[in-house]
Amino acid sequence: MPYVGIVYLNNVKSASVMSRVSKKSPSVCTDMPLDNTDICSKLQLLKQILTSCFGPTGRLKQVHNNIGGHVVTTSASSVLLSSVSSSQSFINLIKTSILNHVSRFSDCGLFAAILCLSLIEQIKKSALRESVAIRVNNYLLALCTSYLQREDCGCRVKLDFCSTQNLITLARSVISSKPACVLTEPETLHISKLAVQAFLLTVPCSSPGIVSFGRIVTVPVEGHSVLSSEVLPGLLVEMPDGLSEEDNLLNPLSVVLFSASLAGDISELGDGVIEAHSDVDTDSQILGQLLELGRQVINDEVKLFVCQKVIHPVLQQYLRSHGVIVVERLGIALMEPLTQLTGAQPVATLHTTIPPKTYGKVRDLCIKHFGSKTMLHLLPLGESAICTMILCHRNQTMLNELKVVCQTAEHVLRLTLREPFALVGGGCTETHLAAYVRHKSKSEVPETASVLMCSQTEYLLGVELFCCALESAAGALEHDGGSSLIDLTHAHRWMLPADAIKETMEDSLGFCGCGLVQSSPSKKWTYLNTKYSDFCPSPVFRDTRVQPHVLDSFTAKLSALQVAIETANLALDVKYIIQDMN
Amino acid sequence: MPPMGHLHMEHVLQAVSVLEAVILRSFGPEGGQVLFTRDTGQAMLSRSGTRILTALHLEHPLARMVVECVWKHSSSTGDGSKTFILLLASLLRLIHAAASKESNVSHSYNSTKAAEAATARHLADKLLAFGLKELDELIATGVVPYGGCISWEDFTVEGQTPSLTNNLCVQKLLRSFFHTRCGYTHCDFSSHLTCELLSHWKFKNQLPSFSLQLVSDYFPALHTPVSGFPVRSSRLIKGQVIHRDFATPPLKTDDQPVKAVVLTGLLQPTLLNTGDVLELGYGGRMKEERSILLFSSWMESSLQGVIAKLQSLGVCVLLSAVKQSAAVLALATQAEMCLVECVSEDELSLFSQLSGTTPIWDCSMIESEHVATLAFCRPIQLGAHRYVHVAFQDSEERITIKPCSLIICAPGEGQIEQYACALQDAIRMLLRMWEPMHAAATTTSKRTLQSHKSASLHTDNLTEQTTYRSTAIQPIQKCVLKSGCVISAGGLFELLLHHALLQHGHSCSVSPDLNIDASVSQLLANALLSVPQKIYSHSPRHFLESQRRVISFLSKFPNYSHPLTLVYKRESTISPIQAEGPLGDGKLSLHCCREGDKFSKVSELDLGLESVSCKYQLLLAVLQCVASLLKVDTVLPTHTALHTQSRRFARTSWEGTEDEGED
Repeated sequence: MPYVGIVYLNNVKSASVMSRVSKKSPSVCTDMPLDNTDICSKLQLLKQILTSCFGPTGRLKQVHNNIGGHVVTTSASSVLLSSVSSSQSFINLIKTSILNHVSRFSDCGLFAAILCLSLIEQIKKSALRESVAIRVNNYLLALCTSYLQREDCGCRVKLDFCSTQNLITLARSVISSKPACVLTEPETLHISKLAVQAFLLTVPCSSPGIVSFGRIVTVPVEGHSVLSSEVLPGLLVEMPDGLSEEDNLLNPLSVVLFSASLAGDISELGDGVIEAHSDVDTDSQILGQLLELGRQVINDEVKLFVCQKVIHPVLQQYLRSHGVIVVERLGIALMEPLTQLTGAQPVATLHTTIPPKTYGKVRDLCIKHFGSKTMLHLLPLGESAICTMILCHRNQTMLNELKVVCQTAEHVLRLTLREPFALVGGGCTETHLAAYVRHKSKSEVPETASVLMCSQTEYLLGVELFCCALESAAGALEHDGGSSLIDLTHAHRWMLPADAIKETMEDSLGFCGCGLVQSSPSKKWTYLNTKYSDFCPSPVFRDTRVQPHVLDSFTAKLSALQVAIETANLALDVKYIIQDMN
Repeated sequence: MPPMGHLHMEHVLQAVSVLEAVILRSFGPEGGQVLFTRDTGQAMLSRSGTRILTALHLEHPLARMVVECVWKHSSSTGDGSKTFILLLASLLRLIHAAASKESNVSHSYNSTKAAEAATARHLADKLLAFGLKELDELIATGVVPYGGCISWEDFTVEGQTPSLTNNLCVQKLLRSFFHTRCGYTHCDFSSHLTCELLSHWKFKNQLPSFSLQLVSDYFPALHTPVSGFPVRSSRLIKGQVIHRDFATPPLKTDDQPVKAVVLTGLLQPTLLNTGDVLELGYGGRMKEERSILLFSSWMESSLQGVIAKLQSLGVCVLLSAVKQSAAVLALATQAEMCLVECVSEDELSLFSQLSGTTPIWDCSMIESEHVATLAFCRPIQLGAHRYVHVAFQDSEERITIKPCSLIICAPGEGQIEQYACALQDAIRMLLRMWEPMHAAATTTSKRTLQSHKSASLHTDNLTEQTTYRSTAIQPIQKCVLKSGCVISAGGLFELLLHHALLQHGHSCSVSPDLNIDASVSQLLANALLSVPQKIYSHSPRHFLESQRRVISFLSKFPNYSHPLTLVYKRESTISPIQAEGPLGDGKLSLHCCREGDKFSKVSELDLGLESVSCKYQLLLAVLQCVASLLKVDTVLPTHTALHTQSRRFARTSWEGTEDEGED
């Protein structure tokens, strides 16, 4: 048989020499990933990193790669998770689930990740079988979601669009939860108010037919104080050449918007060849046509001439000499907002007369200065849902984080239009839900256990693990060595600073995490991770003068809860990993 | 193992056992998901046997042959790939045991190995012959009477009436399918969604295969994956989603109806085709007509003519297969038409089929038959993308379906892909189940089985039922398997067939010349037992108990045909399929655990139903695979011309790396 050996060896060798015809190398398999120490330690590390980032007092992370790239300072899950990559596909499975949630809802990514990871960890530590845990989790998730959607839900606040109070609180909770923006208290409030103002500007008030939302165009300005950030109705475009501030223009101004290039190139005729004789000056013919177009525009008393692409310099000069303001190279991104703002329809034909209905209108133009930038401000005629947000911050890193945070706030505010609710923040929703689940699941234990096809002990253990995971998500908000408490009437979360003395506990507690409940001598507290006898958490009696200080997005948090539990269930269900090594 | 040489039974068995070990991780109620990362780094989740096996990238030629067989089987039935491997392993083990026992006796062969191989080959051929000849009849008499039948006609999802038992059966069938393919968590939800989808796509006066085939063919166009949402956000939406965004602003009003045209060509006329030459300024006599402007202005005016023609027909939606020019976009916007570019061929063909129109290449030739009438055409935001959502107007004379599309949501892309694959396979499984097996006998036997089933709804009128059976049994024995037969899942099929095979073997052994047949059916019967054994692997006690109960039931009531189940039943889920023993007597029912024994792990096996015809085809496929596996005796590795080139390099290093080569 030795010859056979040679043949086989040759095969192997040639495979490594010629990679194109190489055989696929066999895949690497991992059995029972949750029993694998490598995977477990990585899961724990990920949980640690994310937990330390959570909340307004969360610690920042600096992300930099090994080839000296840009250093990012952040505590946002979207930035963190997308920059952390793992060789373990198991970790990536959880990571992509959370990232997908963040890309849809912008908010509650860290909450989802922490809840998911602590649930996996709790179940792994206990002796509960995975298949039972999955069923119990599934059942309890349904319990939670139906409770959160109920009218009498104790941790839900109905948003009142007549006042901006709650909307500002909602935006402020989003903005203050990202310490990498480095904002002072008044700055946070200022940005929150701007976010709400911009959001309200994009909601059209009176438009017939299908309502379409406007858009917020963000203009970042580096090196200025945050307090000089502002929101303007209308659009800002790059300052065109040859415009002085003294120009007086009659209002409103007529606008024409071109989507085709006006540089004088030959239009698309097909794939064939064009042969021009030397005596034919095609360029001047085309330019003549362009000037003809300019003549018509001037006759129609157009004062603002905008083109998505390049405009021939001769045409520009011609138009300017007739008092028309010319803006070229607008770019595709601003085309849609500009059509919405002016009501103009983009033109792409050069030979036919421009139909009058394609012209749009702008109420006024003015020149704005922001630091080194000078921009032309186009104001809408009548109501328009387009606005510009000028964000200022001291340096690039903080400005980038502030931009992300403002987009999140905008998204969160827009979600309230679909479901006009918010959840109490500061960890109170989590503790409240945990108390509710504990209480609710204690009734009808035998029936539920048989439906879930497990023993009563297994069921109760599953409930306990689920509630512990929820509470540990609430407890993750604390980073300064203090302890988290839960009151035994409303089941809200309270923070006890590390240096507090036992006797003066009531005074040092003040308000609960969300600010709805004030401490009083009649209240009882217990530490968050201690056992307490279950009780039905009562909703807070709503005194209209007491407004919550912290609110979370209802839609985003509900989805985060579902995604977290579903992802944990999925991870628990993975029994085998096959990794293609090609 | 050397790469070339004679294959022995052990090698075959070894290879299949390795596959079995992998498959077992995701088999049965305690099985879970398998996560795999592709060479592209993309993660994929699966509980599907075929996908797991193909992801392994096996090198062993025999294992690859097995995977090929599994793939062929599952692409035709959509189901049973895991059971395939289990059955294959168990059959090979039994054949091996039988062959090595026999070869000790015979001495006519040169070596015991060769004798063994010959006996095994012989046995495998006989098994296949037996399977092809008699298996269908055995299943028809031994298994089918204990199951039920689902017919396509009764299958609807209009959930108001609680008596829609057939729909419940389809749901149970799909539920157990999704349980084996996606796990427990959402199997109820997915099966309900699938039922709803199929019931919307039910054509009147058409065979079930027509609707199912249509949904299966257009599945890529009919579903939209949306990541980042919980699975429960998956839903059906009316009409069709075109997976592109508007290239022009969408319609401002929601007036009905909306007229649409499907375009396959460019709207702007092409002046110059490839190879054409346009000569400008001919002969120095510069004329106005020969300037380039003439051509571009001609192009624009003819484009305007086309747009005007479309406008005169009332068209305001253009679905284009290709990208149109900027001039087209601008003119369409000015004409208040909305345009969707680069729509995929699949979606356009589905659209044309549903709207009953034909696509047009050259818009100047447009006629009214090219114009589709839609109920609406709006933008729809799904996840990160904005798509175009169209709905068709109900028209009585054309089709009676309510076209709808599926939106599949899940937190990750891997999961969405898994659900989409499972759904497609579920449709394939249903298609196979309702496919007429033997065309001649279907029409009569379907009727009888249906009426038989309705009779069995009432367990009290036992006499009526038994008399009916005596008349109905004839066509069942004569023809074979009917379409739509189902049986309670959880290994009941295997247990019943095991029993039927033993009975058959017993009756055969009475006549001496058929003695050889008995050993074959005995072998198959024993191999079948491995499936329920693996299902109950976490508690062997329950396997024995359920086996005992099946046997005692069959021996007590050999002539009754009645749907039976192996599972502990909750009060809320009573259905005719799950009805208890014929007398309604608790002692005779086939519950494998007592009412009080609520903690029993067996109760997890409320798996629902599975299709009998799929099981039958699975058995045949396994037998064929065994026969072809055992026919191979040698593996010859060959080299292509490319390899001989590098052989020289390899030979130099041959001495030092001998051990590697022999591995």
